[in-house]
Amino acid sequence: MKLSFSAADEAFRVEVAQWLQDNLTGEFEHIRFRGGPGDEHVFVEERKRWEQRLAEGGWTCIAWPEAFGGKQATIEQQVIFNEEYARAGGPGRVGHIGETLMGPTLIEFGTPEQQAKYLPGIRAGREYWCQGYSEPGAGSDLGNVKTRAVFDEATQQWRINGQKVWTSLAHESHYCFVVARTDPNQVGHKGLGFFMVAMDQLGVTIRPIEQLTGTAEFNEVFFDDAVCAADDILGAPGQGWAVAMALLGYERGVSTLGQQMLFQNELDEIIRVAKTNGTSQDPSIRQRIAEAHMGLKTMRYNSMRMLSGAEGSQLNREAMIYKLYWSSWHRNLGKLAMDVMGEQAEILEAAPYELNRLQSMFLFTRADTIYGGTNQIQRNLIAERALGLPREPRGQS
Amino acid sequence: MDFTFNEEQYFFQQTLKDFLTDNVTPASIRRRWDSDDGFDQDAWRSLCELGTSATQIPEDCGGLGLRFDDIIMMIQACGQAALPEPLVEHSFIAAPLLAQLHASQPSERVADILAAMASGEAMVLTASMINPYVNFAHSATHVLLQFGDDLHLIDSKDCTLTHVTSVDRSRRLAEVKCQPNGTTCLTNGRLGSELWQATLNRGALANAAQLLGLAETLVQMAVKHASDREQFGKPVGVNQAVKHLLADCAVKIEFAKPVVYRAAYTLAVAPNRADWAVSHAKVSATEAAQLAARHCIQVFGAMGYTWECDVHIWAKRVWALANEWGDVGFHKNRIHEWLVQPKALLGPEFTFGRRNIRDVEHID
Ligand SMILES: Cc1cc2nc3c(=O)[nH]c(=O)nc-3n(C[C@H](O)[C@H](O)[C@H](O)COP(=O)(O)OP(=O)(O)OC[C@H]3O[C@@H](n4cnc5c(N)ncnc54)[C@H](O)[C@@H]3O)c2cc1C
Repeated sequence: MKLSFSAADEAFRVEVAQWLQDNLTGEFEHIRFRGGPGDEHVFVEERKRWEQRLAEGGWTCIAWPEAFGGKQATIEQQVIFNEEYARAGGPGRVGHIGETLMGPTLIEFGTPEQQAKYLPGIRAGREYWCQGYSEPGAGSDLGNVKTRAVFDEATQQWRINGQKVWTSLAHESHYCFVVARTDPNQVGHKGLGFFMVAMDQLGVTIRPIEQLTGTAEFNEVFFDDAVCAADDILGAPGQGWAVAMALLGYERGVSTLGQQMLFQNELDEIIRVAKTNGTSQDPSIRQRIAEAHMGLKTMRYNSMRMLSGAEGSQLNREAMIYKLYWSSWHRNLGKLAMDVMGEQAEILEAAPYELNRLQSMFLFTRADTIYGGTNQIQRNLIAERALGLPREPRGQS
Repeated sequence: MDFTFNEEQYFFQQTLKDFLTDNVTPASIRRRWDSDDGFDQDAWRSLCELGTSATQIPEDCGGLGLRFDDIIMMIQACGQAALPEPLVEHSFIAAPLLAQLHASQPSERVADILAAMASGEAMVLTASMINPYVNFAHSATHVLLQFGDDLHLIDSKDCTLTHVTSVDRSRRLAEVKCQPNGTTCLTNGRLGSELWQATLNRGALANAAQLLGLAETLVQMAVKHASDREQFGKPVGVNQAVKHLLADCAVKIEFAKPVVYRAAYTLAVAPNRADWAVSHAKVSATEAAQLAARHCIQVFGAMGYTWECDVHIWAKRVWALANEWGDVGFHKNRIHEWLVQPKALLGPEFTFGRRNIRDVEHID
């Protein structure tokens, strides 16, 4: 164990902070602290330009190997980058699905041709990705995917038919990674493929779904004879489940470091409001603020412990408990925020339905316990996979 | 001792419930969201014709002269339906305030306004100092304004409204500003202070009863969804993880009910001695409703996070009502203050309050 940053790390910190200070100004000044979870709909064009500015400075995909344009940043450096990014109020990253989920999965499973085709666009902050897993009949039961992929010998292309739902940022994305059934005779985890599908084509229709926030971050995506090149399947037909699960491993891994920094900003904002409106004098609020702080620290220690023991997408037991921990912590933070706001909690920023930062956060915490595997599913995983309890009967799939 | 409701009380509740089930549907609530004033005149007229606006008004002013425990389940029914119109504010908060005033200091002016409230001709809302905004102030004919201990009756034409937007599209809030003067003043001093204290209790308890109703509907919706929605080839409600979420809500709700009902009783017989009972009710009902809102969305999965799904109609009302008429912290503090006072009525003989509470104070 060595729980400190080296001199080189500290120099890295100065470099990051300086770059952000120099660049997060002027045309980007007004998007500071904006565009995070629950706030993705704002300043999208500016945030795309910001992705490109980051890329020019060499600050996208820093964890990737140098061969793919990354810095091969150590865990410590990634932590530092995320800390400084949050401190500077770096806007929510439009490219995060590509950078933190698709990229690492492509690096692990992709052929050199696939890597050459897709990684540069992500690295340049110009091509965005969305995640096509869930379907109307496949939520918690992801193995129940009905979207079909058939290889058309005549055109030498895959043809995709089916529907995805709750697809975050599909409307801003160039590509979607789609889990689809390649073998109609198989059910559950077998006979699936993992496809990289271009969104800008006739066979793809995107319909926004309005959320209870009044904004539309997720969508329905219809595939109606959508085409996908023969080479655009990641892994072999039948290996889709393994690839899809590896990607989820990245979702619970390093990509969460940035999220914790957003949490810190939210907690800071709650403390600021509590000091302003006097609720910081209320003993029960004071204790809950202290608990929130301790919970966040615990979360950070645990994720650093988890990351320093992990190899690629291979997750250990700490990783498994992580989603449940942070989603529950964040849910309580949302409630704390509303209690601190008191009678102002229900009053929106502006008509017709503009939520303020803490209100968006509170509502988004309702989704945190659902997406990426619900809290109930997480508990089942912990009990069955980590503790080895007998499996609950799961029906046919 | 009798902790049950009588037939008449059930009848009042059922009549209102039937009306609300038929007339205040999620679709009709969404239509109100799209309208300018958010107010359904037809529904309001029918509610008044049903007699709901007359329940708390003394018989000599054309009302039914019912007690608060007679109508507490009607308030709960308003919550079950997530009724947008300010029936609770008008009939169960403003009306008993004036009725209490009329009982101690009868006047023609108050009798007239009470009669107009009973028929639905007047719509009166309360601007208490504890709430920064008044719901549906733009639809009211009069506002009862708290100014220190003063109670003013102000024509809404003489009020300036500054609208704000609530997270609950059904609520239309405004800050109310007006110039109270000698002629608008109905009473002040000790009586004024007592009336406002009782009003705070009625407001908080009315919110508690609505929260209870909201929670019940949320759980019903979740039960239905958990039975219909299939994953892994079975209804998701098969899983204990889902069952337990909803069972926990049921326990909270059932245990909040007697707390709310006993507070209604105390409020009916001694509105100025009901702080502790009302605060307990507000805390219990708020916690039950917040849990129900949270677990209901969870059971609906991503569907529960959409605008199209009706769950948020109820969940956002919970959000709003939780902080109105004092939030959980405020009410826990009141309980604490009551407990540490030197003459606190503690011990088994005070489980139901002061022994002869009925003789001490009685409003009807
Ligand atoms: C904001 C948001 C963004 C999202 N973004 C994406 C995206 O970009 N791409 C994508 O593919 N998906 C996305 N999703 C979908 C998400 O992955 C699913 O919502 C999630 O997997 C749950 O599925 P469901 O909503 O169908 O709920 P269901 O599976 O229908 O579950 C309903 C309830 O039943 C419980 N339940 C179900 N099965 C069991 C069981 N076996 N044991 C115990 N309890 C059970 C659940 O915990 C839940 O409470 C997003 C969701 C949200 C809310």
